[in-house]
Amino acid sequence: MDIGTVTERASPRQFGPKDDLPEEYRKAATRMIQFHANSEIMGAYLERPFIRQAPSLDRKLAFSAKVQDEIGHGQLLYRAAENLGVKTRGQMLDELANGEGKFLNCFHYPMTEWWETPMIGFFVDGAAMRRQATLKKTSWEPYAHAMDKICFEEGFHIKHGESILRELATGSRKEQELVQDAFEEWWPRILQFFGPTDDQSTHHDFASAVGLKTMGNDELRQAFLNAYLPKARKYGLEIPEYPRINEGEDGRYEVVEDDLDWDEFWQIAKNDYGPGRQQIDSRKAAREAVAWVRESMETPGSGPGSDTGDTPQAAD
Amino acid sequence: MSTETTGLGTPEDLTDAERGAVEAELRPLADGEFVLAERYTEWQVRAPTLESDLAISNIAQDELGHARLWYDLLEDFGYTEAALIWEANPEDFQHPTLVELPLGEGDWADAIVRGYLYDTYENLHLRALEGTSYPWIADRVGKVLAEEDYHTQHARNWLSRLCEDDPGRERVRKALDRLFPYALTLFAETEHEAAIVDMGIRTESLADMREEWLGVVVPHLDSLGLSVPVSEDGEVLVDLPDQVGTDGSHTEHWPELFEEFTHTYRELELGEPPRLLEDPDEV
Repeated sequence: MDIGTVTERASPRQFGPKDDLPEEYRKAATRMIQFHANSEIMGAYLERPFIRQAPSLDRKLAFSAKVQDEIGHGQLLYRAAENLGVKTRGQMLDELANGEGKFLNCFHYPMTEWWETPMIGFFVDGAAMRRQATLKKTSWEPYAHAMDKICFEEGFHIKHGESILRELATGSRKEQELVQDAFEEWWPRILQFFGPTDDQSTHHDFASAVGLKTMGNDELRQAFLNAYLPKARKYGLEIPEYPRINEGEDGRYEVVEDDLDWDEFWQIAKNDYGPGRQQIDSRKAAREAVAWVRESMETPGSGPGSDTGDTPQAAD
Repeated sequence: MSTETTGLGTPEDLTDAERGAVEAELRPLADGEFVLAERYTEWQVRAPTLESDLAISNIAQDELGHARLWYDLLEDFGYTEAALIWEANPEDFQHPTLVELPLGEGDWADAIVRGYLYDTYENLHLRALEGTSYPWIADRVGKVLAEEDYHTQHARNWLSRLCEDDPGRERVRKALDRLFPYALTLFAETEHEAAIVDMGIRTESLADMREEWLGVVVPHLDSLGLSVPVSEDGEVLVDLPDQVGTDGSHTEHWPELFEEFTHTYRELELGEPPRLLEDPDEV
């Protein structure tokens, strides 16, 4: 199939592993899904300390389950990407460890306290949900298929994030102040979640033409603001004065782009932002520390355990 | 004290002695599951592969779920989750010290050996609770046992896998040498031991369970080319560690872990841990 045919046929769930797709399509789809999968892993990495810091048994269980779900999403997405025949999962995981793999801007920032967790668990996940819902109609069928399960589980995560936010926002004065501070710190990053406006976006046109992306950054951010500005207000959060958000008479919001730190955004996009780099490197160290296990799995059969017959499938 | 075969009554009906014995049986069990889970969750997003990450997360959540079931039974006696965990003192916890030991970075062998030693014990312990005289425990044993079977399978499969090559087996050997003495704390008796057995709260003594446990663990480890400090006639050749946990004595690692997991609760001066479920039997 050539690009012309792909563009012509582009529609929801149109293409699968059996189709002979041009390299340009396969590469673009790989880039997009790899970014998504990486983001699941790095999001989980950022949130994992809060399994320990969760202030009740129920919260701890829910947090552990959430982090596990994200790893499961990563697994599904790497598989959907692998099917394109461009990169193996191992390659993609290596790239992530080496700092070549890209992932969402919000997961480059450090998160140290419990009261910050709804910033990811409610707002960022809420934003992600907006985008992911549109990806159920992406033209690469395995990606769309993965999205069915992911969106289903993401719905629970957002409820959990909202429940933590509600608890803090209706809690003691101290809790309210802490969550407001966290909101002010995270809000500009959340606004940048959807990336630059479409006219600045480098990969937008092609991805749209071949049906990989079904909605632009601008439209997604608009939909997010429509839903989440009222929610933030409902929980008594004060929207910071900057970045300015002008509400038009038609109900549309306009973010003053110059109020956002795009230098930092592009630095993050290159994996050059200090705190993000630390996240990447500490995860790399953790991954290298268990390289011996992966090596051991690749060289079986030299010991007395090898003839026991219970091949460790369940261990997976 | 005679053996009670007709069963103990509802939480309110228990005599002080009966209640004391039930609590003494439940507390180490609840704390053991809770703290083991706490250590397991350290592996989340750090396990060797995505698949093993998912598996260890499952196990951690199972153990947390079990802890919740046992804590819930203690709450029948008027304790709150806050008092049992979040506002407790570190020395109130009675988990065997095996589960509180820190995990070395990348020491997956530790997670597996610890899991194997603990799960084998837990399995025996749960079986000794199937015929318990306290009906509230009996109600919950089946659910817990069903999940523990998977844990034991998981641990055994991984043990075999790691022992398939020399470097892997060497890692397992080191973990086993370090953990084995602490595994003996799983069978450390408390002052309530006689009462627990006499009242039929548990149908087997810890001493008997220890014999059974050795009977399973020693030959299995031996078949994998691992040795444990146990003589041919079954005598354990290492001493019990100074801190056994079930008597409230703990290693220096415990206060640090306790400090970490109670950090948010203290910082927010909560007073009450957020509950999402009214009744843990719902899950």
